[in-house]
Amino acid sequence: MAVVAVGQQQGAARPSSARHGQHHLQSLAFLVPGAILLLAIVIWPAIATIRYSFYNGSATKLVGLSNYKSLFSTADTLIALRNNVIWVVVFPFIVTVIGLVFAVLSERIRWATAFKTVIFLPIVFSVTASSLVFTQIFQLDPHVGVLNAIVQTVDEWFNPPGAYPLSAGQTAASLATSGVVAGPHGSLLSSKTVRAGETLRMGLTGVDPSTLSVLGARPARASSRAAGSITGLVWRDFSISNPSDITGIYPDEDGFPNLRLALLGPSGASVATTSTNAFGQFHFSNVAPGLFRVQIEASNFQPGFSGTFWLGPQSLTPTSNLSQTAQALLSVPLIDISMILAYLWIWAGFTMVVVAAGLAALDREVVEASHVDGATEWQTFRLVTIPMLAPVLTVVFVTMVINVLKIFDIVINLGIDSSQPGGQSSTLASDVYYLGFGGGVHTGLASALAVILFVLVVPAMLFNLKRISGR
Amino acid sequence: MTLRRGENGTQRGRVRLGSFSRHRLSSAAALAGLLALAASMVPASISTASPALTHIGGSVSLWAEWTSTEQQDFEAVLSPFEAETGVNVIYSGKGSNMDTAIDAAVAGGAPPQVALVPDPGTVINLAKKGAIQPLAPVIGSEASDYGSAWNNLVTYKNKLYGVWFKGANKNTIWYNPAEFAMAGLKSTPKTWQQLLADAATLKRAGVTPFSLCTDIGWPVADLWQNVYLKTAGATNYDALAAHNIAWTSPTVTKAFDTLAGLIGQPSYLLGGTKGSLANSYPECVDKVFPKPGTMPQAAMVIEADFVVSEIVGNSANYTAGTTGASGKKCTADPSKTPCYDFFPFPAPAADQMNNSAIQGSGDVAMLFKPTKAAKALVKYLGSPEAGEIWAHLGGFASPNKMVPLTSYPDPVTRADAQELQQATSFVFSLDDLQGSWEPSLWQDMLNFVKNPSASSISSIEKTMQSQATASLGH
Repeated sequence: MAVVAVGQQQGAARPSSARHGQHHLQSLAFLVPGAILLLAIVIWPAIATIRYSFYNGSATKLVGLSNYKSLFSTADTLIALRNNVIWVVVFPFIVTVIGLVFAVLSERIRWATAFKTVIFLPIVFSVTASSLVFTQIFQLDPHVGVLNAIVQTVDEWFNPPGAYPLSAGQTAASLATSGVVAGPHGSLLSSKTVRAGETLRMGLTGVDPSTLSVLGARPARASSRAAGSITGLVWRDFSISNPSDITGIYPDEDGFPNLRLALLGPSGASVATTSTNAFGQFHFSNVAPGLFRVQIEASNFQPGFSGTFWLGPQSLTPTSNLSQTAQALLSVPLIDISMILAYLWIWAGFTMVVVAAGLAALDREVVEASHVDGATEWQTFRLVTIPMLAPVLTVVFVTMVINVLKIFDIVINLGIDSSQPGGQSSTLASDVYYLGFGGGVHTGLASALAVILFVLVVPAMLFNLKRISGR
Repeated sequence: MTLRRGENGTQRGRVRLGSFSRHRLSSAAALAGLLALAASMVPASISTASPALTHIGGSVSLWAEWTSTEQQDFEAVLSPFEAETGVNVIYSGKGSNMDTAIDAAVAGGAPPQVALVPDPGTVINLAKKGAIQPLAPVIGSEASDYGSAWNNLVTYKNKLYGVWFKGANKNTIWYNPAEFAMAGLKSTPKTWQQLLADAATLKRAGVTPFSLCTDIGWPVADLWQNVYLKTAGATNYDALAAHNIAWTSPTVTKAFDTLAGLIGQPSYLLGGTKGSLANSYPECVDKVFPKPGTMPQAAMVIEADFVVSEIVGNSANYTAGTTGASGKKCTADPSKTPCYDFFPFPAPAADQMNNSAIQGSGDVAMLFKPTKAAKALVKYLGSPEAGEIWAHLGGFASPNKMVPLTSYPDPVTRADAQELQQATSFVFSLDDLQGSWEPSLWQDMLNFVKNPSASSISSIEKTMQSQATASLGH
């Protein structure tokens, strides 16, 4: 980029006088130091990279195009390409729009400088530091991750967790131990039918004893029969002294307090509800004749919100049944979106400042003229401001396209493992790094991928160059 | 074990981001915690244990990976040698870049006189290049202080090129004895089947059995490698490491199926599958051995012996073994008398012959320049006296059979060291031998945790086979 720009300026400034030759020598002399630097740290490494891309991993043997072939023989490169596409499609547009909105808004508020400073501040931090902050924000555990804490608060308004929330991977049916079977919709049912005057025992396991002690559980006590009533016990059927016995009630086995129960009539409909006491006992009185079952309602086991895995590999598009290649191409992993959110926070200030500079340079007369002509604010913004800002917006947009084509720092920081080659958030640049300097050190593959990345960046670069030199 | 011998000669640098440095840091931190615990136990008789050394004088340059507290401990090992021989040891701690630093120094023609590397592959590669000296003339019969499992790793063309100074054991499952007691478990499992049965009992008691450190790929690879070693044996392990066995072979499938018996039970895993994929080191250890103020959330964590530093770092209350401080019962509450203990990673009942094959890592000394001082230093590093000093300080296990087990500060470290000394086969991490496809291997292992079904296993195996072939060229 710099080479071309320098060359063109040179061309424009070339004098046509008689001292042409001397000037030429002089300018050459001035060019030499820069040219040497460019040669040493840009041109030569670029050529070396292209050369290495045709060599084997330790750069000792020419292997032709086989590096390029093996890059495209696995899904890894496709995944990286897909992620680059997601970044390029989503990020530059949104960050430009946000920058524009912030820039326009900041012109109309008091404390504009303070506002701009706050929005601009993230660009000052290193991306690694920002990533650390966002790693915490995105934590799965709602006690740590503020984003999940917010979601949890909202979620629990709508889905209050039960007294005995199931742990991850646990089903209500797995709790049933003695006298209980799985019921409909995650509830449990007494395995026996009972009639008035009879009593039941229902043993559950798989519940943390501390959950019971928090609820004030007392050692389980069998219920006595009562005429006209169905009574019974729900207890923690696990004794440390007799871990394999699942019939007896031992002194170290507690009752299940506060368990919501329903009495199901012969038709399966609920005819009465009750709760257990601290000993795990329950009592349905005035029971009509007939056979009944006792249901332990599913709401008792409603798990709490366990967090969204913001930095997880799960895809937002339903691709799990597709072939590996189709998955690689069509998945949109959540971690990409989370990373884009964090990156927006970092870059929004930069685009705002650039657009604001463009705004400041606008010809105010045109804007005022549109007001005089009766245009609304929105019409002015849409039909006057945006078209006049278009060159600035284009530069911001294209710069951001180039920026995210090479996206690397936030990717390896927010997704330590998922940015490894083949990982759901890997990008071309992260693959280049890991292939070249990660576990394997394969300079051939890394160089070949770097060449591919270069080829992809070239169109955007040329576009920007053309705009700059066209001015 | 000839694990590194089958390697195709390409030496990989160990420059890894995040994942790897955590790996290293953990062991680097291993001493920080243990030191405090062990400090009170260093007997006064240590100085008398120094070997009889004659005065030599001069100086010798020495590189190893240890920095900070580990460096202090290592310098404590060196000081009797310096005092008695008058040799000035110029030590340089290279951290996790040890292999790369050595490769660069050899290529640049200025290696140190003696170096300790965490990778026997480096020793074999340097022996091939003729950059290091055979050690038989230096240490003589003391080579037999080490099991052949250890010596074979650093033998090239029947000549011994390295002497093991420090070992680390990955063949360990750490458990909270109080959590086991809550489920009425009185002994630790001896077979894989018993481990799963105990896990079921724990689950019935309302205790989540496992906190897996599987947010990233390498711990899954370590875990899988343990299972493969225990189901297929060390010979197959070496063959697979060199990719002389296909990743689609029945031994590989058996290991995946065996491990699926655990991974495929989300209710056994803290946080289920989703939570396991977000459970990072060292938090996964803290969930079994928490700091005072919180209670354990799971009973076991499958990790190498370096977790001890994390445990005793969480609270000095933690006591090694199954009896709490001052003879009290182990409590789950870390503010009272909590304990920690480990049991060896168990093989399935049908594969018990593989129980003494263990996976681990270690640091091996090699000699670049055979000066009198350098030779004396290598001989000293291989002697039981040198190992004994660090053993007393804690956080250290020596593969040297002559280091008395009584030098270790507690029964848990002692059992750990005993496992290392008695190993019939000792293998290093197989993923580190895979060259450029290692990150892909980690990713494949994570995919297995995500979906351990039979169809997923078969597709993962095919992927791994094609990746290995593409990367290793066979």
